[in-house]
Amino acid sequence: MIHAELKQRKGQFQLDARFAVPANGVVGLFGASGSGKTSVLRALAGLEPDVKGEIRFGEQVWLNSERARSTAERGIGYVFQEPTLFPHLTVKGNLDYATKRRNLARQSIDLDRLIELLELQPLLNRDTRSLSGGERQRTAIGRALATNPALLLLDEPLSALDQDARQKVMFVLENVFQNLEIPAFYVSHSSDEIARLADSLIVMDAGQVSACGALTQVLGQVDGQWHESEAAFSVLHCRILAHDLPYLSRLVSAGGEALLVARQSLNPGDPLRLRIQARDVSLCLEKPANSSILNILPATVKAISKQVEQGSRTVGLDLAGESLLARVSEHSVQQLRLTPGSPVFAQIKSVALLS
Amino acid sequence: MLTASDLDAFLLTLQLAAVTTLILLLLGTPLAWWLAQTRSRLRGPIEALIALPLVLPPTVLGFYLLLLLGQDGPIGQLMVGMGLPALAFSFWGLVAGSVVYSLPFVVQPLQTAFAGIPRRLLEAAATLGATGSDRFLSVVLPLSRVGYLTAIVLGFAHTLGEFGVVLMLGGNIPGETQVLSIAIYDHVESLQYSQAHWLSGILLVFSFAVLLTVYALNRRGFRVSVP
Repeated sequence: MIHAELKQRKGQFQLDARFAVPANGVVGLFGASGSGKTSVLRALAGLEPDVKGEIRFGEQVWLNSERARSTAERGIGYVFQEPTLFPHLTVKGNLDYATKRRNLARQSIDLDRLIELLELQPLLNRDTRSLSGGERQRTAIGRALATNPALLLLDEPLSALDQDARQKVMFVLENVFQNLEIPAFYVSHSSDEIARLADSLIVMDAGQVSACGALTQVLGQVDGQWHESEAAFSVLHCRILAHDLPYLSRLVSAGGEALLVARQSLNPGDPLRLRIQARDVSLCLEKPANSSILNILPATVKAISKQVEQGSRTVGLDLAGESLLARVSEHSVQQLRLTPGSPVFAQIKSVALLS
Repeated sequence: MLTASDLDAFLLTLQLAAVTTLILLLLGTPLAWWLAQTRSRLRGPIEALIALPLVLPPTVLGFYLLLLLGQDGPIGQLMVGMGLPALAFSFWGLVAGSVVYSLPFVVQPLQTAFAGIPRRLLEAAATLGATGSDRFLSVVLPLSRVGYLTAIVLGFAHTLGEFGVVLMLGGNIPGETQVLSIAIYDHVESLQYSQAHWLSGILLVFSFAVLLTVYALNRRGFRVSVP
């Protein structure tokens, strides 16, 4: 487990974050800009000397009231938002800088394998100043991993990239997370990236942790500033079932529900994640007989948000064991007499597919 | 042509400039680093103090150093108390004077070079496992190459041309404290214009070549491309 209790004062901003997350998989650090995501990441890395509190990484104490382990001693890898490659070294030189200082206590990641995973082979002899944004960020990720980190920290690594480079680096990151068992913190304000990569989630709001836990559990909550906003979304873990319909692929959710989505190039059995915006889910009491909406699934109301925001409430649904959020108007909540336990049908207007 | 004493003055000047530059690099590096990093209120006054030799007449500087280092001065008495000769009118007295006199020419290029290194690069080095001294050697030094070259060349060249401080502090002892600029002054005083021509010509050509090198280096000097 990673335990942290972080306090820091920076002008008007006050960080007061505490959380405990498992030291495996990807922890998404999510929140609006200025909510303290990057501050948390920098505190974990030991880059903010005036942070007080406690950080424990498994058995190791990184910070307490008596001492603070220096950044170099924490055995982390850090990928900054903007590229920070050394301009006096080539791509290979940057990777070597990391391997020379690598953490010998841990089983090492083979540099050749890393170069292959990140597709760095053609770049090795290049001057880092001649690289494109995506190439720089891939090199930076490779360099961070080449130190053999016990924990990988990524600060919005895709935000400075254009759409194409973003897709490519995202693909590379998925590859890394699947192939190398390194726990990671991933800071982002993009629901797309979080839905695609994160296993656990910490939601930050005004310097504090407003929710923390497994991804689907955190996303399933209905109360809280973010959950009651238009930005709320859910993630369904699915597998490809078959491609027996024209233009469509048939999926099955972890809970066994069948879904239809636009034709995918994946093979039957391949996993994929669906991100569903809460505002794209509407509810009805009876299953509409003739609807153009492809996915209409039986569900049970689990919880309804206490606050009415802009005339709407967030309704948490149980979808064969998985969580799904719907944003519906207060008027509809009253009309349909929705209460926890009500059986409903969830009409999903659109889904985003995240492989 | 050059006489034996001219040659002595020439070698002494080179020796003085080399020793002074070496001491300035050792002293200037931590000082420039501190100035580039600190947010202390002392920064302004210390920067002004270091820059003083740029505007002060060298004779003023030499006068105060003479008072400080001479046999009756506080540092002179300390040296004598420790059984050492006083620094005034000796080679090491000239070195001490030159270090003060040429300090801004070494500290300022280094400070500019250090300040131009993005903080993020040093943070990145720390996350890659580099400790403080490792970061300095593996990131700061290579990225400050041009700053160091400028500092070395300017420190050396400025010490070569020193006159006022040397005259006040070292006098004119051939083989001990008589440097080129003083030898030239002597030659002119005694109307030996051809000797003066030779020595002046050497200094002129050397100084021009040095400055040409510095400007060429600065133009080629690479910038750090981190947005």
